[in-house]
Amino acid sequence: MAAGLLMVSTASCDDLFDPAIENIRDANAMDTEAKYADAILGSAYILMPYSSGPVNDVATDDAVSNDLSNAWLTMAGGGWTSQTGVSTDNWRDRNASIQFLNLFLERVDNVPFSTTPGINQMFVDRLKGEALGLRALNMYYLLQNYGGKGTSGELLGVPIWQESYDATTDMNVARNTFAECMEALLKDVNEASQLLPTDFVDLSNNNQIPAKYAGLGVDFMDYNRVFGSTTWTRMSGRIAEAIGAQASLLAASPAFQGSGVEWSEAADYAARVIDRAGGLAGMAPDGHKWYTAEVIGNNTISTANHDEIIWRGGYEENSSIEGDNFPPSLYGKGRVNPTQNLVDAFPALNGYPISDPRSGYDKNDPYSNRDPRLDLYIVTNGSTLGVNNAIVETSTDAASTDGINKESGRSTRTGYYLRKLLRNDVNPNSTNEVKKYHYTKRIRYTEIFLAYAEAANEAWGPTGKGTHPYSAYDVIKAIRSRAGIGTANGDAYLEECKASKETMRTLIRNERRLELCFENIRFWDLRRWQADLKETARGASITGTSFNYIDVEPRNFADYMIYGPLPYGDILKFSNLEQNAGW
Amino acid sequence: MISIYKKYLPAAMLASMMAVAPAVTAQEEADTTATPMVQLAYRQVAADEVLGGAETINIADLMKKNYINDLNGTTLKGYVPGYNGNSLWGSDANDGRLLVLIDGVPRDMNNIPPIEVESVTFLKGAQAVLLYGSRAAEGAVYITTKRGHDGDLKIDAHASTGWAVAKRLPEYLNSASYMTLYNEARVNDGLDPLYSAEDIYNTASGVNPFRYPDVDMYSKDYVRRTFNRTDGDLEISGGNQRARFYTNINYYRYGDYLKVGESKNNYTDRFSVRGNVDVDIVDAVSAYVNAAATFYGSHSAVCDNDKFGNYWSAANTFRPNRVSPFIPISMINPGALAALELVNNSSNLQNGMFPGGTISDPNNIFSEYNFAGDSKFTSRQFQFDAGVNVDLASVTKGLTFNAKFGIDYATSYTTSYNNKYATFVPVWQNFNGKDEIVSISQEGKDEHSGVQNISGSTSRQTINFSAQFDYARRWADVHNFHAMVVAAGWQRTFSGEYHKTSSVNLGFEADYNYDKRYYAEFGLTGVHSSRLAPGHRQGWSPSGTIGWRLSQEEWLKDSEAVNELMISASASKLKTDLYLTDYYMYSANYTNGGWYSWAPGGQAAAYPKRGANENLTFIDRTEFSANIRGDFFNNALSLNASFFTHKLSGLPINNSTKFPTFFSTYYPASSFVPWLNWDANRRTGYDFGITGRKQFGDVYLELGVNATYYKTKATKRDEIHEDAYQNAVGKPVDAIWGYRCLGFFKTDEEAASVDQSALGSAELKAGDLRYEDVNKDGVVDSKDRVYLGRGGWYGDPFTLGVNLTAKYKGFTLFVHCTGSYGAKSYKTGSYYRPAGENKYSSYALDRWTPANANSATLPRLTTTNANNNNRDSDFWLYSRDRFEIAKVQLTYDFPTHLFSGKVVKGISLFLSGDDLVMFGKNRKIMETTVGGSPQYRFYNFGAQVTF
Repeated sequence: MAAGLLMVSTASCDDLFDPAIENIRDANAMDTEAKYADAILGSAYILMPYSSGPVNDVATDDAVSNDLSNAWLTMAGGGWTSQTGVSTDNWRDRNASIQFLNLFLERVDNVPFSTTPGINQMFVDRLKGEALGLRALNMYYLLQNYGGKGTSGELLGVPIWQESYDATTDMNVARNTFAECMEALLKDVNEASQLLPTDFVDLSNNNQIPAKYAGLGVDFMDYNRVFGSTTWTRMSGRIAEAIGAQASLLAASPAFQGSGVEWSEAADYAARVIDRAGGLAGMAPDGHKWYTAEVIGNNTISTANHDEIIWRGGYEENSSIEGDNFPPSLYGKGRVNPTQNLVDAFPALNGYPISDPRSGYDKNDPYSNRDPRLDLYIVTNGSTLGVNNAIVETSTDAASTDGINKESGRSTRTGYYLRKLLRNDVNPNSTNEVKKYHYTKRIRYTEIFLAYAEAANEAWGPTGKGTHPYSAYDVIKAIRSRAGIGTANGDAYLEECKASKETMRTLIRNERRLELCFENIRFWDLRRWQADLKETARGASITGTSFNYIDVEPRNFADYMIYGPLPYGDILKFSNLEQNAGW
Repeated sequence: MISIYKKYLPAAMLASMMAVAPAVTAQEEADTTATPMVQLAYRQVAADEVLGGAETINIADLMKKNYINDLNGTTLKGYVPGYNGNSLWGSDANDGRLLVLIDGVPRDMNNIPPIEVESVTFLKGAQAVLLYGSRAAEGAVYITTKRGHDGDLKIDAHASTGWAVAKRLPEYLNSASYMTLYNEARVNDGLDPLYSAEDIYNTASGVNPFRYPDVDMYSKDYVRRTFNRTDGDLEISGGNQRARFYTNINYYRYGDYLKVGESKNNYTDRFSVRGNVDVDIVDAVSAYVNAAATFYGSHSAVCDNDKFGNYWSAANTFRPNRVSPFIPISMINPGALAALELVNNSSNLQNGMFPGGTISDPNNIFSEYNFAGDSKFTSRQFQFDAGVNVDLASVTKGLTFNAKFGIDYATSYTTSYNNKYATFVPVWQNFNGKDEIVSISQEGKDEHSGVQNISGSTSRQTINFSAQFDYARRWADVHNFHAMVVAAGWQRTFSGEYHKTSSVNLGFEADYNYDKRYYAEFGLTGVHSSRLAPGHRQGWSPSGTIGWRLSQEEWLKDSEAVNELMISASASKLKTDLYLTDYYMYSANYTNGGWYSWAPGGQAAAYPKRGANENLTFIDRTEFSANIRGDFFNNALSLNASFFTHKLSGLPINNSTKFPTFFSTYYPASSFVPWLNWDANRRTGYDFGITGRKQFGDVYLELGVNATYYKTKATKRDEIHEDAYQNAVGKPVDAIWGYRCLGFFKTDEEAASVDQSALGSAELKAGDLRYEDVNKDGVVDSKDRVYLGRGGWYGDPFTLGVNLTAKYKGFTLFVHCTGSYGAKSYKTGSYYRPAGENKYSSYALDRWTPANANSATLPRLTTTNANNNNRDSDFWLYSRDRFEIAKVQLTYDFPTHLFSGKVVKGISLFLSGDDLVMFGKNRKIMETTVGGSPQYRFYNFGAQVTF
């Protein structure tokens, strides 16, 4: 008995009187551990706002979801409130990310990255630059989601957090103005772009070392350790500038008049990024199909980007986005269904909108003689898809469940399936699964080109160039020509549109809609343009050769919903936090 | 070892002080009493001297007239006041917070056969659990196993066998009805009907069930209505003055309802042995050893597809018209050679049938249970505990020492064979009125790995020890004094968990009574929790109780009306760490987790799990209770009643009203919010038990009623609401919240006139549900949710147990009924609230249509998610009030004179029924299990033979 007690007492004291030891650290551990400091920054990287596929597009006039429990579907149906998770998630994740960045920025100067002072300085510069770039990114998404006119009528941004907080910090602070937020954002962008190289590429000799480090006694190998290709896809100077361009376009937009950012500034920011790629000539010829099997193939060099890509995630071999979006006969769930509204937005092959008699649009053969991007991005009735190029029938008399509304949660609700972002050489059938490489696009050049076109047109008119060698017209011509429209008639419709800023604006917005569809961009574009949010999502119910266009889903957005709501919970808690008007 | 010594030092010092203290002239030794003893914490007390807070069921006696197979909340409900089948006095017993002790060691109630049990004591009052420390603060159940007695060898053999008979099966619509109503739902949504009249006709006519399936998951082909359970055990006990033993060998096995594929072989069995030995080593030293081993196993068919879960959950989702699980090969057109070849390559043909599927439904639960393999779950438990008693009268008169030690080991694992299989998708055509399969495609592949997989291996170890000094003396014939010091601790280790569950405490108790009339008891326990910050790890739990035994007063002593009467009152404040679910909750504790990567690299990120709060401390249970207990009219009537009120305060929360939402994120799971002692709950109620007994000639009758009532109130919460009616404070802890339903919209115009869009349905029409705009802001949203009723999460608010015993000659009739009142529940799930692609139950027949707008009990059908209609509202609320006949047993004991001089010394037979009848308005809902194995009545027949 005594032996038993003795055994108990000696063998298992852990947790009885004192807790079993855990490796407990706090933020101060950054002061001694470089890798740990990087891991704090890592939390901000994890919290980045990017998705691998369409998310909020199903709450626009571009698409609907066939997943009836989809939160964005509910939102578009009228369920959007200040408590709707998907719209308040950004509040949580952007601000939390900023906290990690501030924690990091407050300590980065003292983190022992290297015992060699020169190398240490380079590390500090790079990581500080990354953190500032990421902070600007978070602010951009905060402004996009929450910037707006408050109940007082003032154009507000969000509270600017430039210092880390803890449980004792007074969090009941007022929102800064939108202009103040933009100022802070652009300051972060500019500092980041000064601290960071344009891209993380390896040097091959000491002469290439930038002047600011040349005097620090480091060689090109040291430089490569810090700024070389091993850091590829982290925040770079080019990326930070692209975020600046995105944010200034937002700020210059009609919904944010009073932001202090003019169209010309937005155009200049975009041009800065475009010029990094060699101007208009740098536009990638296959930039509108960067995700396809023919472009990506099995070529997965991790430390290089396709010319179209400014920022991307890592390569992942999977079949998940096809599994989500292929039609049911190809073992998919048919999730994102493009609308008739979007299909109608694709012009005819000759460049004229299908509403224009000159387009030659044939109501009885609506998918022929159209903008090639229609077939590139959308699966229409009778087109082929998948490893065996199977014909997909979306008609009401289809033999398989691919037909419209054949099976809830699997079949299309609009008569269309998604093709963009999917690889045709993937088979999601679990028995014969074929996985292929994909990556998440974060920012690509076409968006920046279109940002320039939009801003330059507003600032200087269709053919005005500001201080740059290309105009909005030039950019749009290049994009339409790349897409393959109007090539036979010198894009007569574009020539017609360049006559006025207004017609050009309409054309630019339409090109933006087509080029950037299903990339989670239109939801906020409609809002910053103060465009019609209520256009009913429509579909095509095809029986034999007869086309019956049907209403699929209303878009029950109120006018005040051009600005998103701050989370209800925080509005209740903090008297100084002003809600956007209407919510 | 040094730290242990330090912790035990105070105990030893206290004990030695006490040993010296009573220099008063001790005249007599503490007397022993003949009344039954009740097990309290670390000591046994005569039943009529218990000062409230504890109730005992004598299981060994009860089993003579009420044979039960398992100890659990259902089989123990209604036998004693204060226990409602779920918790003691409505305390928060959920998540395993009710401490179950078997012979003093924390163990599982479901791992002890009732036949091995002598008694079960419910320690409901704070004063009763005080000495068990922190982890007993929500009450404890103490199970005492049987022991051997000085006397002849006694052998009891029990055998019983019985049938479980399903009470009520869910009712689903057949294919044709489903298709018709689904079409109606489509039209309601503005879509075209999906199923053609021809398809529905062909399905309804049953012309070809392989092409037009109509699968009834509850058909007798798949689900038996009964299954058998058989129990047997052998008890052997005996001993002499020096050594006594009790052993039990126990086995049971029961089957399953299912008869689909491998599931027809499903069974569960359990074998266990126990040996309890008591030895008097020398006059002053006695010891005991208990050992038990359990082998538990269950065999079942494998379902490797998470979509189905098991047969019962599949039965709730698998629509009848989707797939024909098996299709005759003869249906294939003889000319379709490719199809025939494909099918004949299958290794899973059965009775000339091949497994059917579709691209959308390549698998189903039938194919899974037939071809996916089988698994066996095995669980073993070994339990060992031992103790020693030393009478230290030679050192100090009245002093004894007792030490106990227990060690348990439990393991479990699953072995399985997991196979993959192909199903075949037929393409049908009709030739001259005859359906034929013209081609076939294959889904999946046949794969038999032949490898036995082992999964779900777990192990658990429990170590328990206690040591105590008792000092009991009586002076001057009237001063009765007892004191004890207990040092105790236990610890449980789980496989795969770094931290252990621990409890350690040092207890002191002193009780005094004057002439068995005036009682006073004082207890003080020092609890220790390693979950708190250094400097905050100790807490003191005091308790004081007084009692007045009126029946011992001169003026009552000889009363025939009052044979026994005790009133008592108790106040306590317990410290517990039960709600501190983790260690280091006081520290910020940055952790590594989540992965961030860049093109050539990646690593785990770092983030805090919480903010720091070094002042995090124990949770308090502050309690006042009073008890009255008595026997009257020559013990023909017994009464026992208690009042209690207790408050649990300082419950740890992450106070969300102080910090913005962005202090915490989901991925990575970071948080800067500290834990804070904040929330408080009050529970108040009463219980009572009345038993009357009387002999009428040859007939003996006994009637008992036990009742427990409790109410709960949230007294402190961290909350902000615009409207006061949304505050949780002042509402029950087990509050059900929801919308207040105003019925169906009568017209589309009415539906268009209100704004319920925040609830998430795009278009509302007549036949959808309308809710009250409680705050009158013109919009129905989550701010209009109100308190709707009590959920009874800690047991139904008012529970009743009524039991009747009638004896006539050798016959004993025992009837036990339970009543449960005051709790409400939502009708949940697609069975009651169909939407989208859900299977339709018979409730769908009563959906709203323009024709039956006044009698409908369901909103109009929809193929959408029914966000508006399926919100939790009082439309779906029902009362769980019910009265049940839980047990009826007729026992016949053969007259003892038959056995004089025989080897067999007694035979007893019984016939019983469990869970026989339920009365209640919503009986149908409560008796139907949706998505799970059906509830059953159990009819049992058994015999006991004593040698």
